[in-house]
Amino acid sequence: MSRALLWALVPPVWRALPWRALAVGGGLGLLLAASTRLPDSTPSSETGLAVLRMVALFGALGLAFLLDDPARHTTTGVPVRRPLRAGLRLTLVAPFMAAWWTAALFLIPAASRPPAGFLTLEALALAACALALPATAIRFTTETEPGRIAAFWLGITSLAACLVPDKWGLFVAEGTGEWDTAHMRWAVLLGLAAVLWATCLPEPLRRRSVPHFTPTGV
Amino acid sequence: MSTTITRPAPSVTEPAPEPRRTSAVLDLARFEARELLLQVPILVVFGLYIVYAGLRLVTQSGGTDDYPILNQIDRATQAAPLFPAIALLICVNSAALRSRKHHTAQQFEVHPMEPWRRTVAHILSAVPYAALTAVVVAVEYTRETLKPGAIGHGSFGELAVGPLVVLLAGVMGVVLARLLPSPFVPMLFVIVGYLGIVLASGAEAEGHRIGWLSPIIFQDNGGDPVPADLLGRLAGWHALYLAGLCVLLACVAILAAGGRTRAIKAATAIAVAVTAVGAVGQVPDSSALEKARETASKSPEKVQSCARYAGSTYCSFPEWNGVRGEWGEVAARVRAAAGGQAGQTPLTVRQRIDTSGGVESDAFLKPSRTPGQVTVGTRWGGNRVPEFAVAVASVLVAGTEDEAGTMCDARTITVMWLAVGTAPHPLDTFRDVRLDDSISGSAVILAPTEPLTMTTQQTSVVRALLDRPRAEVEARVKAHWTELTSSNTTTAQAAKLLGVEAPKGADDCEE
Repeated sequence: MSRALLWALVPPVWRALPWRALAVGGGLGLLLAASTRLPDSTPSSETGLAVLRMVALFGALGLAFLLDDPARHTTTGVPVRRPLRAGLRLTLVAPFMAAWWTAALFLIPAASRPPAGFLTLEALALAACALALPATAIRFTTETEPGRIAAFWLGITSLAACLVPDKWGLFVAEGTGEWDTAHMRWAVLLGLAAVLWATCLPEPLRRRSVPHFTPTGV
Repeated sequence: MSTTITRPAPSVTEPAPEPRRTSAVLDLARFEARELLLQVPILVVFGLYIVYAGLRLVTQSGGTDDYPILNQIDRATQAAPLFPAIALLICVNSAALRSRKHHTAQQFEVHPMEPWRRTVAHILSAVPYAALTAVVVAVEYTRETLKPGAIGHGSFGELAVGPLVVLLAGVMGVVLARLLPSPFVPMLFVIVGYLGIVLASGAEAEGHRIGWLSPIIFQDNGGDPVPADLLGRLAGWHALYLAGLCVLLACVAILAAGGRTRAIKAATAIAVAVTAVGAVGQVPDSSALEKARETASKSPEKVQSCARYAGSTYCSFPEWNGVRGEWGEVAARVRAAAGGQAGQTPLTVRQRIDTSGGVESDAFLKPSRTPGQVTVGTRWGGNRVPEFAVAVASVLVAGTEDEAGTMCDARTITVMWLAVGTAPHPLDTFRDVRLDDSISGSAVILAPTEPLTMTTQQTSVVRALLDRPRAEVEARVKAHWTELTSSNTTTAQAAKLLGVEAPKGADDCEE
């Protein structure tokens, strides 16, 4: 892959990025993080933890739209393959997301900020899931814009995961005995999602007919 | 010179009369509802919701589940419908945006049905799902009311919240599709909305009534139940507020889609009024409520009624009248095994609550100082039964509950044998009333008010008594009643009187 081609690819991919979804998701996240500065008293560390998790979820919901491509079917045949285009999308977005997450971390008052490393792991795992879900949808269905449905499953499983007892859960409270094991689970989740994303990236060689409930799609 | 004569366009076929249009909207609504059913999120989440509700119906552990408090059961049906509500919001939204996504919106413009009528159909397509939720809620609640031990009564307003939240979510999906037509909006809205509910629940818990503007309030239902009128939840008004909000949002969506008919405008005005009335009406009269709570906590006799069974008086809040007979059976069982005067002394069993730390908190009831008065809480069944037996036995032996909390002598053995030895499964009951579920060593004994303490020595004596035939121990207890209820008798002496081996070492109550 020549460098010139890559440079030629940057502007169109840049334009095709779902900036609005990312901006709204990220903006809401930052607003939420900034709200911890509003009260006169420093919020508790539990509040800080809950807020940062919400922020990570907002960012992940924005990222779920990263692979949306209304022109998907017309670009199947172009010489630049899909993994490269998807990789380029992620590369273009990654610095912004990193800066955004750092800003969110610093918006939480230091006294109520949970351990940044652990929370970054959680945010990375959520983001990886947000990328893997639509990638799977693209690999196995004819959907052009899987972001909406991926965001739904990401959001609703996150809400459901809050109800899981700490013993098996992901969203455990800080200072409990389960904190380290839960973060092992987060790391495993991150690895699985990353592998799933990578394996689902290539264009399917043959369009398989998936049992499709309805032509409308969600 | 010729002039162009503009003739009025030949009149097109007159619009079909109203009923046919209505039926077209209904047909479209039916179609959309069927389409929704085929969406994976709806299928999966509604399926899980129904399975979850079904599992809760079949897996009941007995114990306190046999005596459900209906003013808590009705609220317990509210949280689970949130998940189907989210799925409905997302799917209705994407159905309403379908023509936009497939670039067929222009084709629809030549369709005789106006966009706002299609919007009405989308709104109506959510109704069957709200109805399905209502059926699930009704089944859940009916199953509990049919239990013979069901206590109190639920409120229709509380039961309506679950289905109304599902309907509200469906309507909200259409509103978002009309006002913010973007695929990423609904899920972000859901998370923001969830955050709003959490914040509102927090505000409500701190006593700010503004929290009631949220469709539902997350509450921890684990605390001690109280009579329904002390809850301070004006559920009927809240349901009215939610219903008004559903109609109001539906009107907003229709207006946004161009349905500016007079009827819609009138409906909007009425919906605004109803929502406002509901929102204001759900704020209770807090001073009267505070007074009622204080009366119920400090002088419950003013609001309770009493009944007499077998020589004792049983006073309860009106909703608990049905379980007084069961209290009577337990008290009679314990009294029958007591000797001396205690077998005849009339007891007063009084139900008490404490709302000083907030309603439905796990309050600590102060032991009663009135001689012959036994306290009973608002839960019944399961472990509450032997705990009540302990309270009855301690009042029979020590005179008052207050005195029983401090005793460390033979009386503890008498109390425990009366409470546990007369139960159908003495050893299991003995384990249940001990805080650590042990049957050896020292332990804390659960009671409706202050717990009792048992030393290692007392435990071994009671264990030995439970191994003996009941009639034999009962005869000895009755024969030596005076000594066994005296604070001067030690554990070792009591063991001798009861004919079991005396434990080694003296009592170590300060453990």
